[in-house]
Amino acid sequence: MDATRRQLLWAGGALGTTALLGACGGDDPAPAARSNGSEKPRRGGTLRVGALGRASAVTRDPHGVQANESDYLIIALVYDTLTAPGAKPNTAPRLATRWTSSKDLRTWRFTIAEGATFHDGSPVTADDLVWSLKRLRNTQSGASRMPGVAARNIRPYGRNGVELVSDYPNAELPQLVRLSTFILKRGTPEKEIHQSPGTGPFKLDWYRGGNARLVRNDAWHGGEVLLDAIEVRLFESPQALSNALLAGQLDLASNVGAVAARTAERRKDIQVVRRRDDMPLPIVMRTADGPFADPRVREALRLAVDREAMVEQALSGYGVVGNDIMGTGDPAYDRSLPQRVRDLDRARKLLAEADFDLSRTYELVTTEDVAALAESATLFASQVREAGVKVKVVKRDSTVFYDDVWLKGDLYTTYWGTNDSVVFFASKTLSADAAQNEAGWRDAPFDAAYRKAMRTADASERATLLRELQKIQHERSGYLLWGVADGIDLAAAPVRGLPKLPGYGRVQLERAWLAR
Amino acid sequence: MAGSLRGAARQPVTPAERPRADRPAPDAGASERGAPGGLARAGSAAARLAGLLARRAVLLAVLLALVFGAVELLPGDAADATAERGESAADIEARRHLLGLDRPVLERFADWMAALPTGDLGTSARGESVAALLSTPFPNTLLLGGLALLVTVAVSLALGCWAALRPGGAVDRAVSGSATAVLAVPEFVVAVALVLVFSQWAGWLPAVTIADAAGTPASWDMLVLPVFALAIPQIGWNTRIVRAALADEATAPHVETAVIDGLPRHRVLSHHLLPGALPAIAAGLATSTGMLLGGAVVVETIFNYPGVGSVLAGAVTDRDGPLIAGVVALTGAVISGVLLLADLVRAKASGGRG
Repeated sequence: MDATRRQLLWAGGALGTTALLGACGGDDPAPAARSNGSEKPRRGGTLRVGALGRASAVTRDPHGVQANESDYLIIALVYDTLTAPGAKPNTAPRLATRWTSSKDLRTWRFTIAEGATFHDGSPVTADDLVWSLKRLRNTQSGASRMPGVAARNIRPYGRNGVELVSDYPNAELPQLVRLSTFILKRGTPEKEIHQSPGTGPFKLDWYRGGNARLVRNDAWHGGEVLLDAIEVRLFESPQALSNALLAGQLDLASNVGAVAARTAERRKDIQVVRRRDDMPLPIVMRTADGPFADPRVREALRLAVDREAMVEQALSGYGVVGNDIMGTGDPAYDRSLPQRVRDLDRARKLLAEADFDLSRTYELVTTEDVAALAESATLFASQVREAGVKVKVVKRDSTVFYDDVWLKGDLYTTYWGTNDSVVFFASKTLSADAAQNEAGWRDAPFDAAYRKAMRTADASERATLLRELQKIQHERSGYLLWGVADGIDLAAAPVRGLPKLPGYGRVQLERAWLAR
Repeated sequence: MAGSLRGAARQPVTPAERPRADRPAPDAGASERGAPGGLARAGSAAARLAGLLARRAVLLAVLLALVFGAVELLPGDAADATAERGESAADIEARRHLLGLDRPVLERFADWMAALPTGDLGTSARGESVAALLSTPFPNTLLLGGLALLVTVAVSLALGCWAALRPGGAVDRAVSGSATAVLAVPEFVVAVALVLVFSQWAGWLPAVTIADAAGTPASWDMLVLPVFALAIPQIGWNTRIVRAALADEATAPHVETAVIDGLPRHRVLSHHLLPGALPAIAAGLATSTGMLLGGAVVVETIFNYPGVGSVLAGAVTDRDGPLIAGVVALTGAVISGVLLLADLVRAKASGGRG
């Protein structure tokens, strides 16, 4: 409740700032992207980064629950995961440079970089890998972070490798371990976990209350790091984060959002970095039962929504329209499927065919957890009204929402921080037995395609199956994905080499450098 | 209250309207205090102090009980609020048990209160020691609030006296008018405006506070805008109180006598007006202490100031009872202390006439 008030306040303040700045700004066009490839990367300098988080929720355990973006940023620069998000393919090497699978796609072997060492100089061994991954697996959320791999099935492989045996064939295991498989030094006592040396591109200089200073690791296995240091600062509100960057107190405001970008577009000395396909903001229509169980009704709502207008108004244009398939950043995302566009006549016809009760008012439950979510709900309600469907938006406190509505409600908004994998959503939210099946969707042909894809080693054959899976989702799942928000960072003019990846790829700052 | 005081202040002072003509001059009170029987008085003063302290402590305990109750009334609890998305109901239940949230609220409150005298503020919903979580933010907030209070005292006294020296003049009207205007403006509006003007347009001051390795503001100039964002609305309020209290006091016979005796205006102000107006001014400032600490929640968020305000806001989101109660206990103790001080000032200034 208080959080809602606080968020309103930030929003109010941010709007005020924007309006006033807008009024006094010039009419210069937005600055062009500055980083031109011909510049020679320069060594040295300290990058001052601001990231969002709450002082009350700081966590330092790399295998803990990192609610703060600032904490995850610090951890991801000090420690290395086995694999990491990439552009194409979406799984890139990190501490592991090679991985191979058995024929049945159940046993996966990861070999780590030759000569990789911890910050204290000791080499990384198979025992460190096994110890760290078992520790991760045994945390509360271990089951979803190491899907299908029991702790006893994590074994050493050779001198500097690890073997993971999955309970079922899983062609995408390397992709599913990209985010949390941080490698620590074996035997670190629980009380000293945050002091365990890492293997990452930066070493921890100091940490205090969510803020930290990191210095270059000259011995990083991943190549030369150019920056001398990175200073990470925790910010409670996007508005303060944006103000700090505009005032020159930061070089990078990570994931600061569209409101800040609008303010900064007029400033020639600020780069607006748009990371495409960052966050899907779908509306979930329950398929298992209730008023939206009839696929014709869901199709009608998908046709009633004006996607372009949603992106323009809810996201201030910082995003792209969706085609009701989750995971738009995946190289395997099927762009050949026809884009669904608004068709009110057909929507009305489908509703009539399905005998949908137009006299009732349906509740759409939303939260203010992320920017634009509640706004999208309001816009949706007014748009489907034109097809004769009466929708009332109900805002809920986050805690209440996750208790009472999520995974249960008939109609609600949701969002995901990962969007570069169609398989991720198939396994997490779409297959019948998925733990977080948001719409209660059970579709036998979809499940069959998904399971087959997971058993298929051949890349082109798997791509065909993934297209099949997307086609079914496009046709009849419980998702109405009207659009995907850009991830937006603001950076000072001299910053180069910033990550362009969506989602958690935003933390890959090891290639950044300063042209000054 | 301010309205009626100002009403009195605007009245022309005529001998017929002296409301407190029977009041003894402060000097008389002073000589009384020096009279035999001082020991007995000291004893009763100590008893009174102890009584005041006890009353404040009881009030604080009631407040803390209310806080625990209020957190209980919020939908959901800390186990839900700190759950990772998709965590199973069994895991959440296990953490609920670990946090002791499955015990009755009264029992949890009693345990928490029992540990309080030892300085143990309990454990947060994320398993951190509350005392450790607050050890850096709380002194930071005290620094911010203390500086804001100092600025408020200095500026409102100066403005109030300046206006009172020329009642009804242009200065008086300007000061009283703008004081009314700023006291009506919420802190966050002041804060956003200050950032716009002094940081983003003029570029003179930093827009936010950045903490250093010690967890404190990295440079002094980062404190300027947050201090003024907090102080400006309070300056408005206190200037009016100072102005009104002085005007009230100006009607007292000893002041009129001093004026008739031809004493210089500043001497009348410092020796005759201010001592009598002090209780009202102290009460006003004591009220402001609470407002300053309350306003800090908002101001700290806007300036990213590393204080308890941001911790508190997050703790409410997390339904983190012990952390919320820890913040309330510390700030409540400070506010109680200041209120007590104001009571003592009033008691001393009125010389036991109260």
